[in-house]
Amino acid sequence: MIEFKGVTKRYGAKTAVDAVTFAVRPGRVTGFLGPNGAGKSTSLRVLLGLDHATSGEALIAGKRYRDLTFPLRTVGALLDGAGPVPDRRGADHLAWIARSNRIPRSRVGEVLEAVGLTDAARQRTGRYSLGMRQRLGIATALLGDPEVLILDEPVNGLDPDGIRWIRSFLRGYAGRGRTVLLSSHLMTEMADTADDVVVIANGRIVADGALADITEGHPSLEDAFFALTGAASKQVWS
Amino acid sequence: MTAARLTDPVAAELIKLRTLPALWIALAVAVTANTALGAIAATDVIRLAGDGGPTGIEGAGALMLAPVYAYLAIAVFAAGTEYRNGQLRLSLAAVPGRARFLAAKLLAILVVSLLAAVPVLIPNLVLRGDLGDLGRYLAAYLLLALTGYGFAFAARTVVTPIAVLAAVPILVSTTLGGLWPTVVRVLPHEAALSLVGMPADPATALSPAAGLLVLTGWATVSVTIGGVLVARRDV
Ligand SMILES: Nc1ncnc2c1ncn2[C@@H]1O[C@H](COP(=O)(O)OP(=O)(O)OP(=O)(O)O)[C@@H](O)[C@H]1O
Ligand SMILES: [Mg+2]
Repeated sequence: MIEFKGVTKRYGAKTAVDAVTFAVRPGRVTGFLGPNGAGKSTSLRVLLGLDHATSGEALIAGKRYRDLTFPLRTVGALLDGAGPVPDRRGADHLAWIARSNRIPRSRVGEVLEAVGLTDAARQRTGRYSLGMRQRLGIATALLGDPEVLILDEPVNGLDPDGIRWIRSFLRGYAGRGRTVLLSSHLMTEMADTADDVVVIANGRIVADGALADITEGHPSLEDAFFALTGAASKQVWS
Repeated sequence: MTAARLTDPVAAELIKLRTLPALWIALAVAVTANTALGAIAATDVIRLAGDGGPTGIEGAGALMLAPVYAYLAIAVFAAGTEYRNGQLRLSLAAVPGRARFLAAKLLAILVVSLLAAVPVLIPNLVLRGDLGDLGRYLAAYLLLALTGYGFAFAARTVVTPIAVLAAVPILVSTTLGGLWPTVVRVLPHEAALSLVGMPADPATALSPAAGLLVLTGWATVSVTIGGVLVARRDV
């Protein structure tokens, strides 16, 4: 269970996230949707305690992230702009993260296998392709076999095979009663994956509910997205 | 904060350090340069022109201290690489208590710097028959490394701290040493030279004890500022 309670984040005069309130339930995949610059990544950084909220709070299982002992064993996250140092080998990157939360070393091989990076384990991550880096990020999130998965734009850079794999993986993950929150700027991407969607535009939540309810009355998923985020999208494109 | 709570993050930081190639390169450069300088000083094969005729290079403190800038790159890399590709976000997601993260990282870099100082310093001092000065050199090396470490956290990069720490002695000290000796002698490089008993110039000399005090001040201020910024900033 993830709860945002009136989270506001300002960077100087810019309000990136404005009184954001919503909850993410276990056992379901929740899509966090919004156009570029809507405030998705900022909300997730606040949730993980990386950025300090100007006001409000975000909780995981009733606790602030920073109050979790060995947080990676409860929460796995793929964040935007949180990547491996290019000089380090993929396996070494996972090794230090695992060690920090007393996760058995054997998990490193397991998660590399799960994302199809076993052969690249000894390569420096600077040599990885975009998709391989994304897979490494997903492997990082899975290290602690967490109850809660938070993935910021997980399909970025993935090929069709990778996209299909992550979709069925996330459905299975939620199916076992776990909490999955993933962000995207593409409504269509969520169609086969999400049960619930939370739509954010210009830092404000504009819709929150079951995917079917949100898209009802719109000819397509894309139309629903533009109708809900219209004002924000126009600002960007015109 | 109990010691047990630091075991895991310290072990993680040690893996981070061990698996960073740049760190091994910096160590190799520092060891090679300092050992070569020790050999040259011992055999006296190179003499430098001076006012009173040629002197051994042992008299050129600034040159003898040059390898410290390769050595302190280890600590600077440890801090500065946190800002490469956003590694700090991963570090703080893994260890969200920022005081705990900072304490663990500082402890790890102290251990590694201390270990690295052995091959960098011992051959040089043995060659020069100066092993008795090990303590002073160790203090100078560690304190300069910590100064660079805190600076790298504040500057969020690897390049600036090394450039500033190494360029200041070359540019500022040589030109301003005569004009403002009281200012120049409390700069980190000059304080370190005084601490190891090789002041560049009598005008910018401090007693070794005063040099130690000044250098400890630089390291403390730098690590504190770096730590406070990391604790407060959004990442
Ligand atoms: N550190 C920062 N300093 C200043 N402004 C910021 C900062 N981080 C984000 N912003 C601003 O906050 C707003 C929201 O950004 P955010 O990255 O959260 O959007 P997003 O929904 O993740 O977009 P995208 O789909 O492009 O990833 C943007 O206008 C952005 O410019
Ligand atoms: Mg984003």
